[in-house]
Amino acid sequence: MIHAQDLTKSFADLQRGSVNALDHVSFDVQPGEIYGLLGPNGAGKTTCLRIISTVLRPTSGSAVVAGYDVATQPEEVRARIGFMSGNTGIYDRMTAREMVEYFGRLYGLEEDALQQRIEEIFETLQMHEISDRLGSKMSTGMKQKVSIARTIIHDPPVLVFDEPTTGLDVLVARAVVKAIESLRDQGKCIIFSTHIMREVEKLCDRIAIIHKGKILATGTIDELESEYDEPDMEELFFELISRNDAQVAAELA
Amino acid sequence: MSWRRIKLIFQREIRDQMRDRRTLFMIVILPLLLYPAMGVGVAKMMSLFQDQPRTVVVLGEGELPEHPKLIQPAKAGEKGPRRFVEGWFGLFSEADKLDVYTESMLPRAGDVKADPKLKQLLADAKRIRQKYEQREKLASTPGRTKAEIELVKRQLGVLFSTSQIQVLIIVPDGFGGNIAEVNRLLREKSRDTEVVPDYGRPIIMHNKADKKSQIAYRRVSRAVSAWEQGILSERLSAAHLPATMTTPVNAEAVDLAQVEDISQSLWSLLFPALLIIMSVTGAFYPAIDLAAGEKERGTMETLLICPASRTEIVIGKFLTVMTFSISTAILNLLSMGLTGNFMMSTLGGGIFGQINNLAPPSLSALLWVIVLLIPLAALFSALCLSLATFAKSSKEGQYYLTPLLMVTLGLTVICLSPIVEIDWFTSFMPVVGPALLLKELLSPQGNAATLVYAIPVLATSVIYSMLALWWAIELFSREDVLFRESERFELGLWLRHLLREKEATPSFTEGVVCIVLIFFLQFGSLKFHGGLDPTAPLQALKLQMTYLVVAIACPALFMAVMLTKSVRQTLRLRWPSGTMIGLALLLAVALHPLSLELQANLEWFFPQLPPSVTKQLAALTSDELPLWFMLLALAVTPAVCEEVAFRGFIMSGLGHSHRKWLPIMLSALAFGLIHTLPQQMFNATLVGVVLGLIVYHSRSLVPAILFHLIYNSLGILRGRIGTTWIEDSPAEWFFAADGGAIRYEWPTLLIAAVVAVALLRWLLAQPVGDSTSASANAKLPIESDVNVKTSVRV
Repeated sequence: MIHAQDLTKSFADLQRGSVNALDHVSFDVQPGEIYGLLGPNGAGKTTCLRIISTVLRPTSGSAVVAGYDVATQPEEVRARIGFMSGNTGIYDRMTAREMVEYFGRLYGLEEDALQQRIEEIFETLQMHEISDRLGSKMSTGMKQKVSIARTIIHDPPVLVFDEPTTGLDVLVARAVVKAIESLRDQGKCIIFSTHIMREVEKLCDRIAIIHKGKILATGTIDELESEYDEPDMEELFFELISRNDAQVAAELA
Repeated sequence: MSWRRIKLIFQREIRDQMRDRRTLFMIVILPLLLYPAMGVGVAKMMSLFQDQPRTVVVLGEGELPEHPKLIQPAKAGEKGPRRFVEGWFGLFSEADKLDVYTESMLPRAGDVKADPKLKQLLADAKRIRQKYEQREKLASTPGRTKAEIELVKRQLGVLFSTSQIQVLIIVPDGFGGNIAEVNRLLREKSRDTEVVPDYGRPIIMHNKADKKSQIAYRRVSRAVSAWEQGILSERLSAAHLPATMTTPVNAEAVDLAQVEDISQSLWSLLFPALLIIMSVTGAFYPAIDLAAGEKERGTMETLLICPASRTEIVIGKFLTVMTFSISTAILNLLSMGLTGNFMMSTLGGGIFGQINNLAPPSLSALLWVIVLLIPLAALFSALCLSLATFAKSSKEGQYYLTPLLMVTLGLTVICLSPIVEIDWFTSFMPVVGPALLLKELLSPQGNAATLVYAIPVLATSVIYSMLALWWAIELFSREDVLFRESERFELGLWLRHLLREKEATPSFTEGVVCIVLIFFLQFGSLKFHGGLDPTAPLQALKLQMTYLVVAIACPALFMAVMLTKSVRQTLRLRWPSGTMIGLALLLAVALHPLSLELQANLEWFFPQLPPSVTKQLAALTSDELPLWFMLLALAVTPAVCEEVAFRGFIMSGLGHSHRKWLPIMLSALAFGLIHTLPQQMFNATLVGVVLGLIVYHSRSLVPAILFHLIYNSLGILRGRIGTTWIEDSPAEWFFAADGGAIRYEWPTLLIAAVVAVALLRWLLAQPVGDSTSASANAKLPIESDVNVKTSVRV
């Protein structure tokens, strides 16, 4: 349901000149699986996910999400995905219910269906107590719940999560991970970026290791571990990164 | 575009703003409280600052005529300053505002101690009198240098200003006696009156530059004039002459102004100015909050992933800002109006004389205020939203919006001037048009004829608002604006980047900078060639040529060489196909008569040229100059210079992101504006568009240069060929004579129009091969041209 082909994104930076945030990135994600993007900071994870969710436009390459091209039919794509990241804040002066209702209406849900869905989601995420609380008065955990509710209000087939557990405590992070798992079990197509190994091991069906805009390796965890003969994900990760850096240095020399 | 979604966004934003305590305070509470508070403050201040009495010293009181009395005689034992006789003042209370000190107030020696202030004043007065006499003597003696006289004058001035005296009256010796003498002569109808020499006149010394002295002087001079009238009437009655002898005419002034009219002219001045200021300030804060604030609070990304398109988001925000702008304006006006009315009726008098009750504006006036408020609010809302989008934080947003506030304040001041009126030309200007129209409609003399201006004003206002809104939408579609990281600006790095990492063609910003540079150079060059001497046309033409080369061609060439890798590509210096050359020549010939007649017919629209300018223009095109030189100066040089600049560097820069119409229109607009005469501006813009199209489709600058050359040459030649061959020949059908220059009749215009339209259509149908794209477009599998915009280059 997500098909990325040679996605490239370049910026011009005064100090560094032309920078390739993404360099010919390609991958596929199927429904009912969680695809993990693993990489250090500045690897290009956020850029990649923003392109997939039509927030940014690719310099070249293409991406097809839920059957629609992100560059030519962004509105169709946006209607079929749910995006959540550390940067998708909630409105301070809206209550949880108002926020979810607002987005539900924007997505075109009918009033009755919308109300029913809100009830369901509030029940699942146990949000009834914050239903009428203003955003500014919520704790981080509550804000995340509202964000999740906002993300899934229109029951999208594709979900994009960009480091969704950043800054959350153990309990809340666990709740988020559980929620993502249940969404996968419902058959959603999920792409998920992180740099926390535990989450990778718990959640991801397949992963891609991305560094400086390039995908260094991709496959299921078992495949990667056997290929590089490294049972520890963390070590595997470091191995690949350092190997790539050495290669780049050798090429420049 | 879904109006349902726009409505959803609009409703959410409004609700959000209304929940913000700060917004509510600024928009609702503040106006309602501010003006009454200010009113109370002003009233308190006015009661605190009573009009201070001013000091008048009179030397030589004893020489004043016995009656009628000028100065109130001092009552025995009375201390303190004296007063002028009340009767000489229009308002009796004014007499109390002048403290009069005379020498007679000094007590006799040995009596009660004299008031030191009185002593000081009189001593100063005597010194001033002495200095004054010295100056008079100097001025009348021949052989004194100017410097000496200046010195004494300055000393006199210093003495006066350092003393505490606001007005000094010096009565010469024998004044009273002289007046009595003339009275006597008149009474006895003696023949000797004719030979009465003029006698010394009193002197009233004051300093107009000192406000206090000025006020005192006005009062004193009014009183003295009234007193003089008193002396005169006594003189006439003593001589048995009619009192009206000196005022044979004394016309009676009849003022037809009603109270409503006076109020109305007040509203007509105040409302437009207030409307502008209020709608800008009302749009200011909501715009910052909705654009920059969104980024600050981290909800920008949440907004961008919702199903609404960027256009819908911007329109929703725009409507929110506009609502607040209109509400602010109306609330402020209401509050100000009510407070002002209240204050006028309680405090009354004062500045407005006898107006104690301002009539409130009529219903139709209020209606017009609302109608014209809407386009103003729309324009400001869109502009504020655009500027606020650039900012990364609310603080930065305020930095961007403050210049807008300055500009609008400037425009407001212009509109307040009574000289500036609505006419066809001003009705097309953005903010000034609605303001002037409102001023006219609100004034009591407003006649129905001004309503006709409502059409262009409203139409252009809508267009300008939509342009501003389009710009806001453009900005919201740019990632580099929405996701701006804070940059650390380093001058060295930036310069190095600019000069080393050059592209083949200039960037958009460089194009704009070139335009700005040319305008500045033009402004600066006004000093040198603004005053063309009509008697030296050759010199004037040379100056004109120099100006074109220096102010127009040089910046473009300089920037092209310094900032781009390929001057050839930037200026499109390649040889075009023969067809294109032929097209350019034909088009120039076809468009010339059309453009000429258009300009002649539009003369009524533009402001009149002052006669000095018309003379200069006539001199430039006179028959005495050699034709080849005129062609060189007025056709060849402008063709080359202006094309290199406007269709060369500037259009390449503006077309950096491979757009077609934006660079053509903007460069044509700049080209039009660079012409100093308003009459030429409109035509020049139109021609600029044609030239832009030629350059775009032929991918070469040469046809444009040729077009420009032929076009200008035809304009010159029509005045030089002579018109005698037209008369009494079949050519009469096609041409006409207009004072030595050729004009064109309908058949010619028709043919020209047909040819021009055909040529233009053929031109527009030509395939687009943009020379500056290299093969960049070929690599992209995605067709939409918006992709290329995303590469950032400042």
